[in-house]
Amino acid sequence: MEPGKNILVIDDEEIVRISCTRTLGPEGYSIDTAEHCVEGLYKLKQKRYDLVLTDFKMPHIDGLELAAHIVAKYPETKIILFTGYSTEGTALRAVQQGIYHYMEKPFTPEALISVVKKALAG
Amino acid sequence: MIEYFVAKRREPYETLAGKLILATSIMLFSGSLLIGFIFFKFNEDILMKNLRRHGRSEADLVSRAIHYGMLTAQYEAMQHTLEVLATSEDILDIQVLSPRGVTVFASDPETQGRTVKMSQPMAESIMGREPPPETITTKEGEKLLRFLLPIRNEPACFTAACHVHSERERVLGVLQTDFRTTAIELTRQQMFRGTLVFGAVAVLSASLMLILIFYRFVTRPVAELELGMKRLATGDLDTPINIKSRDEMGLLAETFNTMAQDIKRYRENMEDWTRSLQEEVDKKTAEIVNAHEQIINAEKLASLGRMAAGVAHELNSPLTGILTFTHLLKDRTPPDRKQDIEDLDLIIEQSERCTKIIKGMLGFARKGVSESMETDVNELLDATVEMVKNQIKFHNVQIWMEFVEDIPRLTIDPNQFQQVFLNLLTNAADAMDDRGSISIATRVVGEDPERYIEIEVTDTGPGIYPNNLDKIFEPFFTTKPVGQGTGLGLPVSYGIIKKHGGDMTVKSKVGEGTSFFVRLPLKKEGEETG
Ligand SMILES: Nc1ncnc2c1ncn2[C@@H]1O[C@H](COP(=O)(O)OP(=O)(O)OP(=O)(O)O)[C@@H](O)[C@H]1O
Ligand SMILES: [Mg+2]
Repeated sequence: MEPGKNILVIDDEEIVRISCTRTLGPEGYSIDTAEHCVEGLYKLKQKRYDLVLTDFKMPHIDGLELAAHIVAKYPETKIILFTGYSTEGTALRAVQQGIYHYMEKPFTPEALISVVKKALAG
Repeated sequence: MIEYFVAKRREPYETLAGKLILATSIMLFSGSLLIGFIFFKFNEDILMKNLRRHGRSEADLVSRAIHYGMLTAQYEAMQHTLEVLATSEDILDIQVLSPRGVTVFASDPETQGRTVKMSQPMAESIMGREPPPETITTKEGEKLLRFLLPIRNEPACFTAACHVHSERERVLGVLQTDFRTTAIELTRQQMFRGTLVFGAVAVLSASLMLILIFYRFVTRPVAELELGMKRLATGDLDTPINIKSRDEMGLLAETFNTMAQDIKRYRENMEDWTRSLQEEVDKKTAEIVNAHEQIINAEKLASLGRMAAGVAHELNSPLTGILTFTHLLKDRTPPDRKQDIEDLDLIIEQSERCTKIIKGMLGFARKGVSESMETDVNELLDATVEMVKNQIKFHNVQIWMEFVEDIPRLTIDPNQFQQVFLNLLTNAADAMDDRGSISIATRVVGEDPERYIEIEVTDTGPGIYPNNLDKIFEPFFTTKPVGQGTGLGLPVSYGIIKKHGGDMTVKSKVGEGTSFFVRLPLKKEGEETG
């Protein structure tokens, strides 16, 4: 348990946002959600987040672009990308380069918790 | 077709032989006429000369015959002599004319006393000279040679007892002898007839000879040639022209035969060429049709893939929700409510199956994207086996591994190949109903420069029926119950392997098991990777 860590979930799907909140909330994290990139970026400005969970594919702005932006602007914030498929080239390479963690969708609560823990620990 | 073999009828003057014979005949005929004419002219001269000489001597004879009669003035006897002399075939008429042109004596007594017309030769003879013989045509159209001999005065005359002539007269009269030229005329006619006959005979025999020669050496070979050409025109190239002579005809026939052979060879070449061209065209057409089908298939698969990807992405989020909340619900369920927990596990299991289907569809849609890196296939297989070992499915499956040592690295997309191997192992386990053994082997096969790494996955399952063997690589072919297999595993794998320049084959014996062979080419020595 690492209480007090701030996590922001940016996903256009409400069910994903709720899933994350309901999975990670009991673990002691404080969770905020954003429906899209603009809202996400706005929230990032308001508060310091330890971790951002974002979908690789989202309307308007590509999750990868968003991630790059976050890495540049908030270096201390960790990022986990949700991907639909593990061989999604660019994302995979990014992960291999050690910049991001990634999470294959759909995921189970245990898988999400373990990846979040790993990301926050690393 | 048959009219080609019958030479067209021609008028005789149209044929070469006809023309030649006509020309030769005209030449021969006019030639013989000319020769005849020249010969005749020459002959006529001789005859004329002979006649003149003969006539002159005969006229002389006449003059001498009547000499005595005149001297002795025996006029009756003279007349008689003249008449007798005139009975000669050659002599038509003999007259003794006075210097005044009056017929004094004549072989024809009726003409006695007539005055003849004075003419130049007559005048000359009266003067005492002997004119050359004169040719005269009678009223009846008979040609005569007229000799005029002057009867000169001589001592015997003016001393004669009759005293008819005085000493002063130089010429006492003229002896006119008319000779017939019938002989010459006859010869002329004979000669003319002879020439005609000769000419005709010459023309006839020459024509006959020419016809024979022409038929033998020209007409027959030409007809043969003509026939040959017509045969050629109808496409018969195999029957040569049979002319054996060594002349130009023979040469022509030989050349013609050679030409026919050449044409035949060319035609055969052409036919061969056309045939092989046709075959080539057929082959290429088949290839194009095939390629076209493949393109259409690929296009179908691609659009199917795009749709699948869209659906898959849409499904991922709700599945995340289902999985999360089922888990949360299960965590909250007291352990004694076994049935509830079992039910929730079922939801989780089925959701995971959905996830698998979606992954398969995505894999199919994303065949094109790849991230290649140098990969140790043995390690990749190890990792994959490690992954499946933990699945319940493989708990009763024994996995044997026999790997070649120091395997050369391959530049491949490890994620895609993990998917390939995973599918092969899952298929094997499925086929064996989750119990049995799978052996995995790697080896290096082939000779440089075509070396491959071969990965063999063999199971002890029921095998694949021969008529299903071609179908297992088709998308959506599955023998598994609805909802359990999507039929995408092998086609996706096959696509991945092909994209890496490799190949996948299958060997199966019903009742014994199935072996899949994946072959991946090794990069040649010195060849850059990537
Ligand atoms: N090792 C095997 N033994 C017997 N049959 C096999 C084996 N591997 C594949 N097959 C046959 O080939 C079919 C197609 O296999 P494929 O992997 O393409 O699809 P699937 O396994 O049915 O579905 P999916 O892999 O998409 O879940 C299978 O349904 C099965 O009938
Ligand atoms: Mg399969």
